[in-house]
Amino acid sequence: MTRQSTTSPSFLTESRAVSKRFGHFDAVDDVSMNVAGGEVVGLLGANGAGKTTLIRILLGLIGASTGEALLMGEPPSRELRRSIGYVPQSLGLYDDLTVQENLDFTASAYSQPRPSVPADLADHADTLVGDLALGTQRRLAFACALLHRPALLVLDEPTSGVDPLSRARLWDTIHQQADAGAGVLVTTHYMQEAQQCHRLLLMSGGRLVAQGSERDVIGGTTAVEISADDWAAAFSALERAGEAVTLDGTDVRVADGDPYRLQLVLEAASIPAQIRSVPATIEERMTVLARAERVGSTPPTS
Amino acid sequence: MRAMILKEFRELRRDRRTLAMLIAMPLLLLVVFGYAANFSVDTVRTAVVGPQAEQATAQLPFFFDVTTVEPDGNRSTAEDLLQRGEVDVAFVSSTGPAVALVDGSNLFAAQSIVSVLNRLSDQVTTEVLYNPGLKTSWVMIPAIIGLILTFIGTIITSIGLVRERQTGTLEQLAVMPIKPSTVIFGKIAPYFLVASIDMALITVLGMWLFNVPFNGNPLVFALGGALFLFVVLGLGVFISTVSQNAGQAIQLAFFFLMPQILLSGMIFPLDAMAAGVRWIAYFLPLTYFTMISRGVMLRGAPLDSLWLPVVALTLMALLVFTGAVLRFRRDLAPTRRKRGGTSESDAASGAEAGST
Amino acid sequence: MSYGVSDAWVRFGSQVALRGVSVGVPAGQVTAVVGGDGAGKSTLLRALVGRVGLDQGSVAAPARERIGYLPATTGSWLDMSVQENIDFVGGAYGLTGQALARRADPLLERADLAGVRDRLSGQLSGGMRRKLGFCLAMLPDPELLVLDEPSTGVDPVSRVDLWRLISEAAANGSAVLMSTTYLDEAERCASLLVLHEGHTLLSGTPHEVVASLSGTIISTTTLSRPAFGWRHGRELREWFPEGRQPAGGSVITPDLEDVVIASSLKLGMDGEERL
Repeated sequence: MTRQSTTSPSFLTESRAVSKRFGHFDAVDDVSMNVAGGEVVGLLGANGAGKTTLIRILLGLIGASTGEALLMGEPPSRELRRSIGYVPQSLGLYDDLTVQENLDFTASAYSQPRPSVPADLADHADTLVGDLALGTQRRLAFACALLHRPALLVLDEPTSGVDPLSRARLWDTIHQQADAGAGVLVTTHYMQEAQQCHRLLLMSGGRLVAQGSERDVIGGTTAVEISADDWAAAFSALERAGEAVTLDGTDVRVADGDPYRLQLVLEAASIPAQIRSVPATIEERMTVLARAERVGSTPPTS
Repeated sequence: MRAMILKEFRELRRDRRTLAMLIAMPLLLLVVFGYAANFSVDTVRTAVVGPQAEQATAQLPFFFDVTTVEPDGNRSTAEDLLQRGEVDVAFVSSTGPAVALVDGSNLFAAQSIVSVLNRLSDQVTTEVLYNPGLKTSWVMIPAIIGLILTFIGTIITSIGLVRERQTGTLEQLAVMPIKPSTVIFGKIAPYFLVASIDMALITVLGMWLFNVPFNGNPLVFALGGALFLFVVLGLGVFISTVSQNAGQAIQLAFFFLMPQILLSGMIFPLDAMAAGVRWIAYFLPLTYFTMISRGVMLRGAPLDSLWLPVVALTLMALLVFTGAVLRFRRDLAPTRRKRGGTSESDAASGAEAGST
Repeated sequence: MSYGVSDAWVRFGSQVALRGVSVGVPAGQVTAVVGGDGAGKSTLLRALVGRVGLDQGSVAAPARERIGYLPATTGSWLDMSVQENIDFVGGAYGLTGQALARRADPLLERADLAGVRDRLSGQLSGGMRRKLGFCLAMLPDPELLVLDEPSTGVDPVSRVDLWRLISEAAANGSAVLMSTTYLDEAERCASLLVLHEGHTLLSGTPHEVVASLSGTIISTTTLSRPAFGWRHGRELREWFPEGRQPAGGSVITPDLEDVVIASSLKLGMDGEERL
């Protein structure tokens, strides 16, 4: 964990040992992280892992119970938030205004000149946002967030419910911003998107349990891949045996599985299958973490 | 700042309901308070009975609009006329000083009558029936029962129904093998029940706290209450079918509630309203419920004397409730009903689609 | 028994939501409908369960008593507990008491919801609530199970749970049709249908769909024509529709995501040509 002196604005946003408690519930627990210019940082974790709460603390929308959140090296303030483009899950658009009017409003709010409607939204310039498809609304929310050329982009599940091509184009925009020097903090449930990030942060139960490259996040988790003609039967048999089963296409995978033990299970169920050890995925690491949480034990930190 | 204001106006312009509220509400209040808010009664419906009826009628000031003259009648004839709500005051003339019987359940008329009669005190003995103390609470509580039912029926019911639409579970109900009628009545019955209990509770509490009498037949009261409930529940269901969320439902329910409070005769007497406004009152269900509840509770009016409000409420109930239920039913049916019950049913082919 | 929709046309006013879409939903398999918001996925699913009438075309579906349906919305009654939701929906299908418990208990057990029977649906996490919606849809032991975006907004761990439940439902003989925006899920289905603005963009088994793309896709570090390129994980991909062997980069075997993106690109370009 890199620590910078308090005055250094080398990180666009940074949290230092930030915790947030709601009643008896630790929504965020001792999280230290940062985002620098030019990098795309992926924030991963299950529903309720504390991702959105952390984002809201970083933006200064809610205060931390303990610890310190910094924007541009200073405590978050309204003035500092001007250098941020934020797209919440709810998008934050006005349904009763047209595309052009939403853009106009955002531009005025950031003291920008009246913007022209981006080419891919031009057909809808005078359509009420409430009448647009979700994918189009997301593109507009992006366009609004980028209007004032923010130094830091914060995106909460930007591609949820969007078709593959639009998703690819949204990620093109994300990378263009990073290439132009902006920092991007993005949450996603989609592991193919996580791989497009320069750096990953994995949260579980409010804590930052891993960070770094995909390899770093996967940590010591291993995986075994099982190919069986009757993959559904193999899946059920291993599931019944209490293994952390996932699927990749029609291959059955077991996180932290012991190939020998798995072989015994499959033989007992008379399911012919090929078993081999393979590199684990981020999803498997998350599955292992979730299972650890369910039984109440402490998940391993890497 | 300018941008914020501009945005707010643009949004407001597109939110038709709020816009309507902004324009309609001031107009309504202006009209109501200008024309309807009038406590002073100009004339009162009067009956004169007894041997000297003809002579007495001639002596009465213009304030008394004599609608019935019955030389053969006596005090019980007069009481009967008052109980049925046909007149506001009845003079019983006989050999001694005349007796003026005043209907205290029509508070403002009664107050005017009493003040006029006090100036003629030598010739007339005044007796206030049904509300001898001329208490405001006595006339308000029967009306407030109706107001509370309106509140439950429209606001609470519409919120309860619209929630199902908002969360999308109406979609699941529509696909499950439950008959639409079961869904509709299953959704409405609890509110009907709760409102009925509330009605009984408020009535008893009102009687207990304010000593409001209950002189009439509880069954007549229950009939009026039930009919009225059907109307307001129907309104609630209707509101829920044209609203997408609870906010819209409340807004719309408020539109229905406001005129009922002001124009139903609950606060301002119908008799004192300008004719241009009074006709609105005759389209409001609370007007009729108030007639029934005051009549039954205070005067002990019999059913046959209340035929007008009962028939009016019955017609409204049939119209509003059926209309609302049909609209609700439409939400539970497929968007276009071309598909049969079970398997393989070829839909009639529509017009050739304009594909590109 | 195979259910489905054939040559379905649906118009809402001037908008055409489905333009001659057909999909077969065989028993014992999971069939996926892929597409973004506004592609027509929900309309197709709603047509199959009888919520949307067709302007043209036909629907084959079992009786209502044997259809399980999870809409794209919450899928359960937020102000009722898990058990109350089960009781209510079970009752609608004529299941009560022991019969209901025999049906519901294993479902809740498998969905990992048995421990939270008393919790209000509104207090469940997004993933748990979707699983509850799934359990409710499974109560009638459906011949046809229709799931509208069961996994959208659901985290990867709950998504694995959901997928396990869905594949089990199919393994037990239900005909399952689910919509999704996740192509890794579609890749696991027996067959899939990709919708784009009401049109069928691609359909068939995952293998057939992947094989249907003409031309070559390469993995590269620089795009020669950005309009034909996209990011795939850490790599850049570029499509050469004519199959011309590109100078740089290496030809790869595309996955479903690559094929859907390339096909969407093609559609966009065809559209421009028409104009």
